[in-house]
Amino acid sequence: MLIVDKEGILIRYNVKMEKSMTPEDAAAELYSKDELNRAIAEAIFEGEEDDVIEGLKAAIAAGKDPISLIDDSLMVGMKVVTELYDQGVIFLPNVMMSADAMLEGIEFCKAEAGSSPKPKGKVVVHVAEGDVHDIGKSIVAALLRANGYEVVDLGRDVPVDEVIACVKKESPMMLTGTALMTTTMYAFKEVNDRLLEAGIRMPFQCGGGAVNQDFVSTYELGVYGEEAADAPKMADAILAGKGLAELKATFHKH
Amino acid sequence: MAVKKFTTMAYSNADEMVFGRAKSPVKAGLGLEIGAGYTTAEVNYAPRPEAGETKEKLVNEYQRITRDIMARMVQVGFPSVVLETEHVQQMTNNPTWGAEVAHAQKTIMEEYHEEYGIKCALRHTPGDVREDKDFLQLRGDKYNVVMESFEAVADAGADLLSIESMGGKEIFDYAVLRNDIPGMLYAIGCLGSMDMEFLWQGIAKVAQQKNVTPAGDTDCAQANTAMFIAGGLLDKNLAHTLAIIARTLAGARTLSGYEAGATGPGKDCGYENIIIKGITGMPMAFEGKTSTCAHSDVMGNLIMQCCDLWSNESVEYHAEFGGTTVQCWSESLSYDCALMNTALKSGNEKILRDLLMASDRFRDPQSYILAYDNAYKVGQAIVKDGNDIYLRAKNAATECCNLLKSAEGLEMTKFETNALNKAAEELAVLTSDSEKFMSDCMEKYKAEVKVFKPENYAL
Repeated sequence: MLIVDKEGILIRYNVKMEKSMTPEDAAAELYSKDELNRAIAEAIFEGEEDDVIEGLKAAIAAGKDPISLIDDSLMVGMKVVTELYDQGVIFLPNVMMSADAMLEGIEFCKAEAGSSPKPKGKVVVHVAEGDVHDIGKSIVAALLRANGYEVVDLGRDVPVDEVIACVKKESPMMLTGTALMTTTMYAFKEVNDRLLEAGIRMPFQCGGGAVNQDFVSTYELGVYGEEAADAPKMADAILAGKGLAELKATFHKH
Repeated sequence: MAVKKFTTMAYSNADEMVFGRAKSPVKAGLGLEIGAGYTTAEVNYAPRPEAGETKEKLVNEYQRITRDIMARMVQVGFPSVVLETEHVQQMTNNPTWGAEVAHAQKTIMEEYHEEYGIKCALRHTPGDVREDKDFLQLRGDKYNVVMESFEAVADAGADLLSIESMGGKEIFDYAVLRNDIPGMLYAIGCLGSMDMEFLWQGIAKVAQQKNVTPAGDTDCAQANTAMFIAGGLLDKNLAHTLAIIARTLAGARTLSGYEAGATGPGKDCGYENIIIKGITGMPMAFEGKTSTCAHSDVMGNLIMQCCDLWSNESVEYHAEFGGTTVQCWSESLSYDCALMNTALKSGNEKILRDLLMASDRFRDPQSYILAYDNAYKVGQAIVKDGNDIYLRAKNAATECCNLLKSAEGLEMTKFETNALNKAAEELAVLTSDSEKFMSDCMEKYKAEVKVFKPENYAL
């Protein structure tokens, strides 16, 4: 059998570029100095739901307000995770597990307080009509929630009528659509047309599988999201006041 | 159809495996014999989205595609070709649509075969439409629709029947995003295998009745999902060591189709097919550097090492500078096949196989394990407990971890190594009692995954 030294044939750039700092060390630099908040942030980073609840109980016992804890502790802890993900220090499954732990913490705080905080904004997510491939949508939803957005998840194979009705009812800041198949992504054009007919001009982020920038550029409200991680970035950009043209200029990379 | 488990390898050693030759070649279509000493291009395509609006438009689109491919093949002088039509949903849900497309394609292929003598075959791959909006519905009405589709396309001219089955995906999608190795094992190795065994007995029966070939399946729904999420070297969505563990689990799963009556050639996107070829000796389709029109991978040359059919995965039909996409890609595939066939004819096939393998062997943990020598070892781990779907999948994943841990010349990041070590530890403490594993997982995932319906697997 022929074995050839890889020198000059390939370069494992991921090994070459790997940061020397461990994820735990990198996270430690970002944690709050407040001891109670730090324990909660560490539990979120580890994705340990039970420890998050324990940390919240301790903070409430120490006199902290449950609703304030959502913004001041849970969201701050989650931001450590999303920042490290953006920097390439940790990987997506860590974010998913941390988001699960954070969401459980939010539910606990809401139950303790008997009220809900105001989210950063609301996003409706769906998978195109006729398409049942939803792992991309699930990642988008988790990343949006991890970044403090309220997500209305319509699920997969969602009829255009249902998308339009939901947008009218919920008045989200953004709609997302994912599709794996070229044949189903055509539903996005119909969603676009029906939104415009109804006088709704709202960013409609589309991505996944066979969806590409050329296709999304063919309808007015469409903004192409190449990666799931673009979804919270796009929502942040909308909050910062960017309109459709600016979003396209930023996120249409090709 | 009776189920016959594989408990031995078809090849006595890894070095016996080469491209273009399989222990059990398959005759199909118009003069073609797959795995009988030569390789053949398998061209795969998708209609333009607007073509799906009506049956007439769709049939017309596939006629153009078929004529374009056949014309290019004879223009450049290639002796054989396989066309694969992966159904758009409309074609499976309305079996007469799929049948009309198959008939239209086969009519054109017969014309070319009669006029030029070109050897060719038509593969049809109905969509696995066995699902409702929120849940998989693997048994019942939707299963019947899939079987009707197979019957219809077989009657209309399809020579090779395939599918990309979805069993286990509801658990896998949950597990892979949480680094949950036991969950991945349960999804792919257990649920996926159980569904494939059920499904392929039905497909093999149809094929037998219609005198066509029950070709094979792929774990596209799971192992390719892992590979695509893992992405390139700099992507941060899944450790590549976990992606290759999913792939070796898929080796144990995809085998179930061949145990339930499939005979090959396996489906192109089953990168696990190198493991399957070692176990079954059946011919296999692969895709790699010539499927960049559909997706990137990190083993484009290596995966060609033992192919019998060489595919482009899928390309949307439209114009390029060099003709239509199907013309360009069929030509590229066929030139690769011409090179392999020259190597076979001149006795240099093992040299070319090894050059292909060596050029990607150390590119990634995935390519390292799918190098034919290591894939063969994974196959041996599977057949060691071939009668037990849980144990054989666990063996495959464990062997994958052992091979990576002892790899020489493969560089891995700390992240990849940590994920590997954690996976190996989790596998090491798993029970060797299949029934206990199954019942524990059923309880856990029924509680955690709301879309999991055990009745899909007769559980």
